[in-house]
Amino acid sequence: MDSQPPSRARKILCVEDERFISELYVRALTKAGYQVVVEQDGQKALELARTNQFDIILLDLMIPTITGIDVLRQLRGAGQKPLKSKIVITTNLEQREDIRADIEKQADAYLVKAEITPKELVAFLDTIK
Amino acid sequence: MDNFQRFATQVRNHLLLMMLASNGLIILGWWVGVEVFHANPSGLLFLSITLAVALSLLIATVSTTYLTKPVRLVSQAIMHVSPDSANVPAPELKSSPLGMELVTNLVTHIYQLSSVVAEVEKAAGKQPHNLGADFVANSLPLPLLVLDKEQNVLFANKAAAMYLKREVQDITGQNVYSVLDMSFAAAPTFDKWLAEAKTNKAVASKRWEHVKAAIPAENITRQFDLAAYFNQSNPEGYETLLVFFDHTKQYEKDDQGLGFLALAVHELRSPVTLLRGYIEAFEDELDGKLDPELTDFMHKMKASAQKLSSFINNILDVSRIETDRLTLKLHEESWPDIVKAAVDDISLRARLHGVEIEVTITDNLPTVGVDRVGMYEVVSNLLDNAIKYSGQSKKIVVSAGLSNEGLVQTTVQDFGVGIPVSIMPNLFEKFYRSHRSKEQVGGTGLGLYLSKAIVEAHGGHIWVQSKEGQGSVFGFTVVPYAQLAETSKAGDNKDIVRGAHGWIKNHSLYRG
Repeated sequence: MDSQPPSRARKILCVEDERFISELYVRALTKAGYQVVVEQDGQKALELARTNQFDIILLDLMIPTITGIDVLRQLRGAGQKPLKSKIVITTNLEQREDIRADIEKQADAYLVKAEITPKELVAFLDTIK
Repeated sequence: MDNFQRFATQVRNHLLLMMLASNGLIILGWWVGVEVFHANPSGLLFLSITLAVALSLLIATVSTTYLTKPVRLVSQAIMHVSPDSANVPAPELKSSPLGMELVTNLVTHIYQLSSVVAEVEKAAGKQPHNLGADFVANSLPLPLLVLDKEQNVLFANKAAAMYLKREVQDITGQNVYSVLDMSFAAAPTFDKWLAEAKTNKAVASKRWEHVKAAIPAENITRQFDLAAYFNQSNPEGYETLLVFFDHTKQYEKDDQGLGFLALAVHELRSPVTLLRGYIEAFEDELDGKLDPELTDFMHKMKASAQKLSSFINNILDVSRIETDRLTLKLHEESWPDIVKAAVDDISLRARLHGVEIEVTITDNLPTVGVDRVGMYEVVSNLLDNAIKYSGQSKKIVVSAGLSNEGLVQTTVQDFGVGIPVSIMPNLFEKFYRSHRSKEQVGGTGLGLYLSKAIVEAHGGHIWVQSKEGQGSVFGFTVVPYAQLAETSKAGDNKDIVRGAHGWIKNHSLYRG
């Protein structure tokens, strides 16, 4: 592992297939000093998450190849290698309460994109350590 | 087959004996004719032929009766056990010296087989009855149950057994409530309807939409529409008929929120996310560079996008209430905390409108059993309305205390425009706003509808008093935690889960 300066930029994987939304998030996050990698595809995002040390993974649920829920399960499910990255679900999908509760158990946070602006997202991520 | 060999030998011996006797008699006749009567040959021939014919007839008659006796006894035994010929007596076995062992053996088998059939029929709870009706019921692809006066299942067709994932004989004879653990979307439930029909009706029928039943064996839930027909005076005791129309797939799809609404919400939220993001970016870049009018437009644009986002959530809440999927988690909470949090969060907006909020809360209020998010929304909604309709008035009064019934009662009073009498009855309906208020103030038209649903789901009551030109008082009650815990028998479980209407449980034997 590379030696990192103590106050290194926090690394974020933004899994989002709507390009306009990821553009806005990248803009706000880079402005706030985060280092952002964007991935649209579920399978590729899973590989990236496993091979890189991201501090935070922003995970949309409706994404191509495998869904965000599958990505989450494969990263956090029983019998998986523990992953240090914090996982924040960012979705506009409305889940049934019990399904949402299951997702919230495995993820570190659950946000509805329409309810927060990019700056509010940054402010929220700043609180996640 | 010893018995059969013995029977065959007996028959052969009998026939041999008869033939020997017959031939002997003819020879004797011949001898008597020649020696005693000195008959001429043609007379002798005539005599012999006559004797042979007579003897053959006699032997045939006697032998037939004797030889067919065993068959007659066996057939009598079959007729005796057959349900279609009830008057045939049991055969008397000792009356047949021929094939006694074989007959006894066969008849014993017949009675054994018949008792097996009777057992099977009994096990299947099937009184041997109308085969035509059975055929129709069993060919019917719809699950069907027939209940007697004690609500026991008299008959279940094959489709019902398959639908409930049980065997027909496991269902028949059982109480219907132990076979079916049903929940209904709306009152009256099946058991309530049936009780009502039993007391007041000779004949009744009803149909329910979206009924749920757990199938414990497979850990699945069936969802269906249910039709019931009741006939008090059916002579055979077939009192109630139940037919199930399965809609599990369709209703599950709705349940998973993959219906039209969920997808529409997803598609609406994407552009709202973008709008709010772009507006924020413009605001960042243009802050201080715009003239006051454009700055004002920017703020209004931002507020509109935000309102759109909350409106989408309101629509979802309404849909959850109407499909019974708004669940509230009731915890023990401090009521002043919730009221103060809602007041604090809105006071900035109130001040912008030049309104001060005055809060009076009785000391030592008991803790309440509420869903914090839901109740925060109710208080915020009422405060928001009070600000909107304050008009020229500058004051809103929030009070909380104990009601005469021991409930925690909260009122939000404004001294503004008030509500015209004509619209008072419709105030808590969704999308109901007077034409005037639509022009003058914003809002989704869902706030009071949602507030009422949330308050009532908590077991409380909401009301309004108003006089045009003098202002309005909105009040509601919530139940103290101690009282709620007692009625819910929550014991040490601090979470009490409630639905907005809640699925109403049918009477069920599964319930502990």
